[in-house]
Amino acid sequence: MGSRLPRRLLGYALVLLAAISLNFFLPRWMPGDPLALIAGNSVRQMSPAVKGELRQAYGLDQPLGRQYLVYLGRLVRGDLGQSYRYSGGQSVGQLIANRLSWTLLLGTLSMGLGALIGSLLGIWAARRQGSALDLGLQAVLYTLRSLPPFWLAMLFIPLLAVELRLFPSGDSYSFPRPSGLPGLLDVAHHAFLPALVLTIAYIPTAFAIMRTSLLGVLGSDYLRTARAKGLAEKFILLRHALPNTLAPVLTSFALDFGQMLGGLVLIETVFNYRGIGGLMFEAVKTRDYPLLQGGFLVFTVGILLINLLLDLIYPRLDPRLASRS
Amino acid sequence: MDAATPLQVQDPPNRLPLNRLAGRVGLLLLAGLLFLALFPALVAPFDATARLGQPLERPGDTFLLGTNDIGQDLLSELIWGVRVSLLTGLAVAFLSVLVGASVGLFTGYFSGLLSSILLSLTSLAQVLPFLPLVILISAYLGPSQRNIILVLVLFLWAVPARLVHSRVLSIAREDYIESARALGSSDWRILRVHIWPGVRELAIIQFVLVAGVAILAEASLSFLGLSNPIAKSWGGMLYFARASGAFLNDAWRWWVLPPGLMISLTVISLMLIAFSLERHTYR
Repeated sequence: MGSRLPRRLLGYALVLLAAISLNFFLPRWMPGDPLALIAGNSVRQMSPAVKGELRQAYGLDQPLGRQYLVYLGRLVRGDLGQSYRYSGGQSVGQLIANRLSWTLLLGTLSMGLGALIGSLLGIWAARRQGSALDLGLQAVLYTLRSLPPFWLAMLFIPLLAVELRLFPSGDSYSFPRPSGLPGLLDVAHHAFLPALVLTIAYIPTAFAIMRTSLLGVLGSDYLRTARAKGLAEKFILLRHALPNTLAPVLTSFALDFGQMLGGLVLIETVFNYRGIGGLMFEAVKTRDYPLLQGGFLVFTVGILLINLLLDLIYPRLDPRLASRS
Repeated sequence: MDAATPLQVQDPPNRLPLNRLAGRVGLLLLAGLLFLALFPALVAPFDATARLGQPLERPGDTFLLGTNDIGQDLLSELIWGVRVSLLTGLAVAFLSVLVGASVGLFTGYFSGLLSSILLSLTSLAQVLPFLPLVILISAYLGPSQRNIILVLVLFLWAVPARLVHSRVLSIAREDYIESARALGSSDWRILRVHIWPGVRELAIIQFVLVAGVAILAEASLSFLGLSNPIAKSWGGMLYFARASGAFLNDAWRWWVLPPGLMISLTVISLMLIAFSLERHTYR
């Protein structure tokens, strides 16, 4: 794997530590009692004895360094704190675990499709650089980029769900929830509109990345040589041009990934989808800080995992990296 | 595939007329929006904060776009909304490029511990999940326009910083920089006289692009209920439209459609300007 991976891993560990530290310091920097920000408004009704116990449990009676260790210890055991709203029963970790699969379904589906369609369009446009078709496609996709995706969703719902009744207007499944194959179809039916909006939202980014990288390669000397040898254009594209764009294209995707996740929060909100994004919106309404922190942390881990995955496939895409090991 | 032209890159056709047209349309749109942002009272038919009609009135002779859930005129809200969206976007863009360009100039020209730390911060700000983190911090700070601007700048400086950084790196390798140093120019003078001119255009384009990103982000935050609910903004209108279920009946035509179109129009005007400025780097 070369000497790249350990360095990258160290970088990811630092990013994770930064995210955790943000979560740790935010309630402690804000004016007011950090206990109220960590345990919620129910603190006001508590007796001093109970408060003292809670303070001890979160280590708030100790110096900051010790508090940080207590916090890390809780995280390592998978304890993300207690949600305010569900303080009777559910922990933040439990709430997020219940919702994670919905976000994964929506996110992977729409980002995969968006990246695929956007890249294909990008290749198509790069081969016609400067033509009216290229300019037209660019105009369409840049216009698409200027539309807020959550607004697009608010238009699709009255048009496609309410008036034409093609799709449900929200939620992840129907009540009562069907089982077996009808249940699966029901989930697909509910996921269609949110996935469609998100796919549309991701296409322009993928398009711009692919088009720019391919244009960067198309003018190079080795392609002129390939052409001079009389190779077919299709062969040159598939065998010589595209492989060289894959690594930079994936790097750009990985960099933009953090930005793209925002769409999930908004679209899940509009569709009342049962993912982590929808959960975060509910948490905003009730100012449920532990839940918001949990959502942020999960998204950060998701980004780091994607980056790690790309690090593992890079050497296969770019022989220069593989040969260095 | 066969219908496509061969893979070679032709000389870019003369795009100057198209560039000029795009730039003019963009500037015209932006000027109009700026006018609305500065003098909304001259154009708006009513005071956007006054409860003048019945709640949820349909469009009529008095209220051209109907009224919202508490009887305020939607058209006036739409016009007053330019101010928050555009001024937030421009303020965020100015501060982000100011910070980003400074960091990019510094890290591109000087190497050392401080540069490494700043570069790590740049990648950190870029890799963290933007909206979830902005939501988290805004929720702590409370809803105000100033807080939204600060939180957005906290992350949006990273892209200009990275781009300026790599531009400075490539300029600093040039021979004339070496010559200037040999002639005894100070670092400050080299940065100001020899490097800044090569970065200026990039910084201006980034200003325009970041403004667009910031306007979309501000609308998203307002839509999630994280902005000042008193200040009229397009994202805020969409928040209340959603809360009243306006997209489940035909109120979406006058309550949901217009604010989104205004956001899109503003962002497009900025993109057109950026496109016209990018004539040197044909992409």
